Amino acid sequence: MAEQKVAAYICQGCGLGDRLDTADLAKIAQKEGKIAFAKEHEFLCNADGVQLIKNDIANEAVTHVVIGACSRRAKTEAFTFEGIHVSRANLREGVIWVRPDSDEHRETTQEMAADYIRMACAEAKKVKVPEVSPERGGNKRILVVGGGMSGMTAALEASKAGYQAVIVEKSGELGGWAAKLHKRIPFNEPFQDPQETGVAEMVAAIQADSNIKVYTNAVTSKTSGAPGRFSVEISQESGPTTTEEVGAIIQATGFTTYDIAKLPELGGGKSSNVVDQAGLEALMKAANGGAIKRPSDGGEVKTVVFVQCAGQRDDTGTHLPYCSGFCCATSVKQAMYFKDANPDVDTVVLYSDLRLPGNNEDFYRNAQRKGVTFSKGKVKSVEASGNQCKVQFHDLILNDENAAIADADLVVLATGQVPNSGTNIDLFQAAEAEALSGTNPDAEAKIAELKVVSVLNLQYRQGPDMPQLKHGFTDSHFICFPYETRRTGIYAAGPVRRPMDIAQATEDATGAAMKAIQAVENAAVGRAAHPRSGDLSYPSFRKEGCTQCKRCTVECPFGAINEDENRYPQFNEERCRRCGTCMGACPVRVISFENYSIDSIGSQIKAVDMPDEFSEKPRILILACENDAYPALDMAGMNRIEYNQFVRIIPVRCLGSVNTIFITDALNSGYDGVMLMGCKHGEDYQCHFVKGSELASYRMSKVDDTLKSMNMETERVATYEVAITDIERVPKLINEYAAKIEEIGMNPFKGF
Amino acid sequence: MTEVVATNQTILVVGGGISGMTAALEAAECGKDVVLVEKNPVLGGRVSQLYRYFPKMCHPVCGLEINQRRTKMNPRIRVLTMAEVTGISGQKGDYTATVKISPRYVNENCTACGECAKAAETDIDDAFNYNLGKVKAAFLPHKMAYPQRYVVAPSVVGTPEGDKIKAACKYGAIDFGMQEETLQLKAGAIVWATGWKPYDAAKIQPYGYDRFSNVITNVEFERLADPHGPTGGKILRPSDGKEAKNVAFIQCAGSRDENHLRHCSRFCCTASLKQTQYVREKFGDEAQSTVYYIDIRAIDRFEDFYAKVRADQSVKFVKSKVAKIVQDEKTGDVVLHGVDTEGYHRYANTHDLVVLAVGMDPEVQGAQVPAEVAADASGFLVSGDANGGIFGAGCATNALDVNRAVQSATASALRAIQVINKVASVEG
Amino acid sequence: MSEMKYHNNFLKEVEERVEEGHMVKMCMQCGVCSGSCPFGPHWAHPPQELFMMIRAGKREEVLSSDSMWMCTSCYQCIVRCPRKLPITHIMHGLAYLAKREGLAPKGQPTAEFGQMFWDNLTKDGRVNELKLSLSLYFKDGFGQGVKNAMAMQSVGMGLMKAGRLNPMEILGGHKIKDKSGFHAMLKKAREIEDARRKLA
Repeated sequence: MAEQKVAAYICQGCGLGDRLDTADLAKIAQKEGKIAFAKEHEFLCNADGVQLIKNDIANEAVTHVVIGACSRRAKTEAFTFEGIHVSRANLREGVIWVRPDSDEHRETTQEMAADYIRMACAEAKKVKVPEVSPERGGNKRILVVGGGMSGMTAALEASKAGYQAVIVEKSGELGGWAAKLHKRIPFNEPFQDPQETGVAEMVAAIQADSNIKVYTNAVTSKTSGAPGRFSVEISQESGPTTTEEVGAIIQATGFTTYDIAKLPELGGGKSSNVVDQAGLEALMKAANGGAIKRPSDGGEVKTVVFVQCAGQRDDTGTHLPYCSGFCCATSVKQAMYFKDANPDVDTVVLYSDLRLPGNNEDFYRNAQRKGVTFSKGKVKSVEASGNQCKVQFHDLILNDENAAIADADLVVLATGQVPNSGTNIDLFQAAEAEALSGTNPDAEAKIAELKVVSVLNLQYRQGPDMPQLKHGFTDSHFICFPYETRRTGIYAAGPVRRPMDIAQATEDATGAAMKAIQAVENAAVGRAAHPRSGDLSYPSFRKEGCTQCKRCTVECPFGAINEDENRYPQFNEERCRRCGTCMGACPVRVISFENYSIDSIGSQIKAVDMPDEFSEKPRILILACENDAYPALDMAGMNRIEYNQFVRIIPVRCLGSVNTIFITDALNSGYDGVMLMGCKHGEDYQCHFVKGSELASYRMSKVDDTLKSMNMETERVATYEVAITDIERVPKLINEYAAKIEEIGMNPFKGF
Repeated sequence: MTEVVATNQTILVVGGGISGMTAALEAAECGKDVVLVEKNPVLGGRVSQLYRYFPKMCHPVCGLEINQRRTKMNPRIRVLTMAEVTGISGQKGDYTATVKISPRYVNENCTACGECAKAAETDIDDAFNYNLGKVKAAFLPHKMAYPQRYVVAPSVVGTPEGDKIKAACKYGAIDFGMQEETLQLKAGAIVWATGWKPYDAAKIQPYGYDRFSNVITNVEFERLADPHGPTGGKILRPSDGKEAKNVAFIQCAGSRDENHLRHCSRFCCTASLKQTQYVREKFGDEAQSTVYYIDIRAIDRFEDFYAKVRADQSVKFVKSKVAKIVQDEKTGDVVLHGVDTEGYHRYANTHDLVVLAVGMDPEVQGAQVPAEVAADASGFLVSGDANGGIFGAGCATNALDVNRAVQSATASALRAIQVINKVASVEG
Repeated sequence: MSEMKYHNNFLKEVEERVEEGHMVKMCMQCGVCSGSCPFGPHWAHPPQELFMMIRAGKREEVLSSDSMWMCTSCYQCIVRCPRKLPITHIMHGLAYLAKREGLAPKGQPTAEFGQMFWDNLTKDGRVNELKLSLSLYFKDGFGQGVKNAMAMQSVGMGLMKAGRLNPMEILGGHKIKDKSGFHAMLKKAREIEDARRKLA
């Protein structure tokens, strides 16, 4: 590798030249920053300025560039040079735009700028342009767990893009629930009538596709590795266990229907004439083109009642709290089965809200046209008597509390989807902790029980399956990023991710196939996945210093780190998302990235010029999340909202990457206060790395004790939840905090 | 002259909203070359005009920041703004698209320093705020605008004001010599992600959107609630600037209606649930929201959100399609007439402000795709491969919430890649 | 017959016997018709509720309701109905069925006036306005009739001056030429309609 050569470029545009002594800044960069050279330019981001830098890279062998100009969020394209590290000193949005343009403030404004130059130089000297990890897997096959509609779609779509797929299906045949349907909800124009499921055609297409390999009666009994190099043991009911090497995994394990036996008040389990929607499909298939007969006695079916939201949308905590979304349209479809066969059969759908979004409105209209009656009502009971059932309900439109259909031959309960998501790893981790601490003698048995239901059997330190979001579904918490996954290279698709119908599941599976393909392509070249897409850095650690405390393996939000046989952390780089939470967690600071490390942040902290305690110039360090807090600070600058001149801001990848050493270093170096700004945590967390900001706030709560032991005020370290929209609030927080620090007084350790 | 290198292994993405950005990014992060064409001066689309998302009540610009950073960092994506695709010829694997680029009058020298806006005098309608406010004739569409580059309104070109604006820029970024230009681009596959537009509320005659100032739409309400909107985040009604503490939300304003949009627009129930919480957020216990609905369509875990809003004492639900609205000229109050169908209760309810939950009109309606494509009765593009190498994405294909639009866009990226990979395997 | 509730019997009857009755099932219970009707506050059951009652099989209650007799054919409901139900037509159709089934509410003024108008018109093939007015005034007895007539005296005089009302009509008034032919036509029309609507 070429020798490191750092050059700084100070821009004079956008008022920087008027407001700052750029010559002084260049001098500081060169002398104090101890870099090769520094240049000023009147308009650095224009073609001429950029060319100046390019020439130096070509002719002067500059490897690290310090730009003293605008924020790193501005002019990014202009200041990106291939193979070159760029450190941005934010003199515009971070200095002149947040400080008043007057003579009395000139000195402190210049000091601010000078510190940012020092910090950028310090950072540049401590980082390397990351080189691609030598350890990376190049396998580009896609494993699809589950051979239902979602799984089959994912495999076919991956194959169409030229990728090989392996399907592992638990049952003896492909097709899943869809294969058990008579017909499906319409998914294209004119959205009027039930349509063929198309399952047979898909199965045939898979069988004819040389890119797709299918295992039936098979489960994934062991999954280890990382994107680009997963190794999966496939156990078949009868036959050998096979190992397949794949690059990414799609979990399309679908759902199970909610057990109607849990709904005795609705006749579930009490009468064979009360079925769920799957049961009705089975009756339809069994009828084989003839009329559906009454299960109890084979009698003629004249009246059918559909009870929507059976065991769903339940606020009592007994049944499913969510809406499964597909069941209204399914009841419409099933009512049509009867109407299409014999218009004289009475079909009544009792609902509380009919949920038929999009073009399903046309499907609803057509059911009405066929004479299906829809009534808004709350079903109180379904009682069997003889071969009929009495359905009692509160008719909400006619306000009749004692409405009843006394002679239903068949009652269909529209129950919900329960995801087949495998082991709940939160419970698993809790049981493990109990086993370790010995607090629960049954913990081992509980672990075993939880392991049995595992789908993927991941050999991951943090448990055998994907983390679940809510109600057991393996969904993303992010609205903008539905495929955001906490296990890199593993994507959930279909009803295991969220309750959904076939049309949505096929769209979802296609999207998941896209992400899986992207994951193998990224893994092959060592690139990070979202949100630091394209980042080539990866964590490295100094084994000699490691105390095997396991903090990194436990805290990694993505379960990337395993423990090897000697209990050392084993970083699976392809699983890593480069948030740096491990780096923040490590008490002995042995984890770092080539372009982001304890040292690169620490030296920025220390690079700041520290005035003495009599100067009346306190220094406040702000460690701000680069995703939300830093942009908010930037936009405060763009809005010319002033904030205190004594703060020095360092963007961090995630607050989770903030190691407590930064705090102690800062206080030891004489900073009077430290502000940490990260994303919202808790149930509706906003942290792009899931747990980073939460972990940071936990760590900082521990810092209080340290501060007390140092005889320092706990207010000297403060943690804030900041949203990207807090453009007015962030300056206010800074100013209030600065006032607080002024009140408390200067750091007594200054100058020691 | 704009220069864009594109081949039949390039994916053309039309529309730079969240769906288009997603499709472009997913494909580019898979190593594909993408040209992203957006008709507005900035990327982000309608989600950037939302204050918060349901059900998390988080801010859409948070995801926009990530997507913009991904775009800035990825050399495989070329972004063309103020650009529209006016023609498409050829077939799957070999398209030629004609792209018309309107002059921005600001070139890449712009540093977004804002001096031009200071020099501008005239105010023009602020499209970002649905014309609820004004901006200077030289403006940055919003604070997170990407490309971070100002725009000069054509109205000042050749005027003394234009000269002043030009003179204010020290970097030679103002260029009145810019002309409309037309490019021909090659592309192997096209992702059509032109999104949606709010249904024209004025067409719903009994609601008087065109007659009553205190009847507004849901998209406008987002701007009123946003601290960076025209009222600084205060929910003030247009007639007299009074705080609107008692707000009515009318569902299915246009949707599920054979006189207007025949489909259900899916997002509007949950959007109104969300907006009741804006009222709550601003006015606390003084807030009063009433949601007039036919069916509340809070599907999957949005049900949790619905349950939460139902538990909020400030929110009432009335199962009713409002029959008509009258605004009292003296007080500015709006009176809603109708019947609560749950047991037949006639009402004439007075509110400070009415928010019409207008539905999704696919943008492809009226602005036809310049190629033969299959669409459904509502004008949504048929998804999948019914349209050769042109793939609909997001709300151009269906009435979708953000999450589902992104799902759809991700799927469309793969469909485009399938075509590109086939082209590549043939061409080697 | 409570056990027949929520069956389609009555809905089917309405479909067969009521003008545009086949559209009743298309109602999605939004209530915009009920809220739009200018006479709404005076009804027992607004249209959307009637439609639900039909689907719930409440035959007696529907046909004995005064609601459909109140419709003034303003068409506000039709214009606004998101399902394009021809509500006005259905209301009149229901009224007709109720009348034919003998279930129309007794003493319902619109129903009574309708009958008077029909009788007046079909008698001679022309509307005798004077007789129609008088029969309306005197429908509740002689004393009330005199009071009504006095109250309307100035209007009547005005109409006469303007040549819009002929006092000689009291003696018989205009008749069409072929009265028996006209009555035969009515009879035939009724036969056809009854067969079609199964009202015989």
